[in-house]
Amino acid sequence: MTVDKSNASAMTPRDPTGSGSSSSKTAAFPVVPDHELIRLIGSGSSGQVWLAKNALGTYRAIKVVYEKTFRHRRPFEREFNGILKFEPLSRLHDGLVDVLHVGRNDAAGYFYCIMELADDVNTAQAVNPDEYQPRTLAHDLTRRKQVPVPECVRLGATIASALHFLHERGLIHRDIKPSNIIFVNGAPKLADIGLVAQISEARSYVGTEGFIPPEGPGTAQADLYSLGKVLYEISTGKDRNDYPELPPDLGNTRHDRDLIQFSKIVVKACRANSNQRFKTADAMLAALLAFQFSVDDPIKERNRQRLINIIGIAGAVIGITVFTILIWRLVWLLKHGQ
Amino acid sequence: MSQLMTLLAEDPIPTRYSLLSRLQNWDDQESWKDFFDTYWRLIYSVAIKSGLTETEAQDVVQETIISVAKDVNKFKRDRSLGSFKGWLRNLTRWRIADALRKRTRRDDHATSQEEFVPVENIPAPSDNEAIWEEEWQANLLEAAIDRVKHRVKEEHYQMFDLYVLKHWPVTRVAKTLGVNIGQVYLAKHRVASLIKKEIRALEERW
Repeated sequence: MTVDKSNASAMTPRDPTGSGSSSSKTAAFPVVPDHELIRLIGSGSSGQVWLAKNALGTYRAIKVVYEKTFRHRRPFEREFNGILKFEPLSRLHDGLVDVLHVGRNDAAGYFYCIMELADDVNTAQAVNPDEYQPRTLAHDLTRRKQVPVPECVRLGATIASALHFLHERGLIHRDIKPSNIIFVNGAPKLADIGLVAQISEARSYVGTEGFIPPEGPGTAQADLYSLGKVLYEISTGKDRNDYPELPPDLGNTRHDRDLIQFSKIVVKACRANSNQRFKTADAMLAALLAFQFSVDDPIKERNRQRLINIIGIAGAVIGITVFTILIWRLVWLLKHGQ
Repeated sequence: MSQLMTLLAEDPIPTRYSLLSRLQNWDDQESWKDFFDTYWRLIYSVAIKSGLTETEAQDVVQETIISVAKDVNKFKRDRSLGSFKGWLRNLTRWRIADALRKRTRRDDHATSQEEFVPVENIPAPSDNEAIWEEEWQANLLEAAIDRVKHRVKEEHYQMFDLYVLKHWPVTRVAKTLGVNIGQVYLAKHRVASLIKKEIRALEERW
């Protein structure tokens, strides 16, 4: 963690508008030591996210959270403490976006965290800063309406495992939704850790409508409910508010049969009655992993099909042989007059 | 019904948030949220059928609900104002008329006519009654389904949805969901009777 007051080593940011040097515009840029801030790539109630490049030329995402966006100092400090606690843990689990560094600038009233950058929607890790767009699950859903069940299961298992990791350490995420699941080197990771809070301190009402359970957000079980709604959206291609409706074009294909089985896990995560839901993230993870074994991958499916063909051919051969023997026997009996 | 299904796809949440922030002086936010969720589709679809654009219809939803909030106590006291259904119809009609008047004024001044709706698309007043009645009934059903949806067992709602709302043959529902036909009929019966009860409750609320 850096407490940065002097900013002496900070690199000069580029003007995001590209309109040349404008002191009023550049003055609004946050300053992060050893990083060039290139472009604002996201902003929300909890802060701004910048595309940045470090001194070695590696692209990073930097989240900047301003104290002035909070009514009081306490919640700002709470967010900061949450990030501080999360930072070393983030790198211990593959399903969490890596936080590489946390620092603050008290004079300017903000803190920041430097994170690994999500893949670009078109070029993955080959980032072109002018055209960079982070690949999130929400973006994926704009390109393909539905995610195949085996992929939903893998993604669900990764995120459930990341939640288990967080919950065990007394942290909760509070805002799980498709735009907060990013891809790094093609692998899904839980992002927007700005909202991660200690369970004991998660009193404030945050989250996104439709992903929040009826009893309200701020618990470990609420995270699982939100993950259930994410899995509902990606597996069915429907809006979370349509839950628990199934797609109307369900057929009798293997995929649709898998989808129905998968929806049982989704329902178990999202039941209206919280007593009937998964109690812990590892219970949800176990259900997803057990299901993963039952979902045929393409190779298993091809082998199964081959086996069916072999049994079919063998059956036909045996049938024809038995039939021929019977006919032969009948003819023989008729010939010999018995 | 199909039109309402399409409307369901619209995202009402931003409208609701901005509306609720305008109603923040009202005591009970939860009941206004509930009021919005129950009636926004009705007001919105009547406004659209009256020839308004989506943006204008969203404004009509806001303005109508604000009118309700302003006058609801008067309405509750003064029964001579008639039924809630008739009262809401009048408020909606007035706010639609306001939107049309605003448009005429805007068209007089503006050079851009991108939101212009040809006059023949605006239904004649004689259609209004029929539109309102049809939308009122459809909305009651939709609102009741929405309420019941989150109260029944998910598996029962899935069976009801495919069998009753999506018109699947009962055998197909049973086969697809891996249940027997009796379970489908039972789920239909349970969910449908709760919906009927909810419709009655909605009708008697005012």
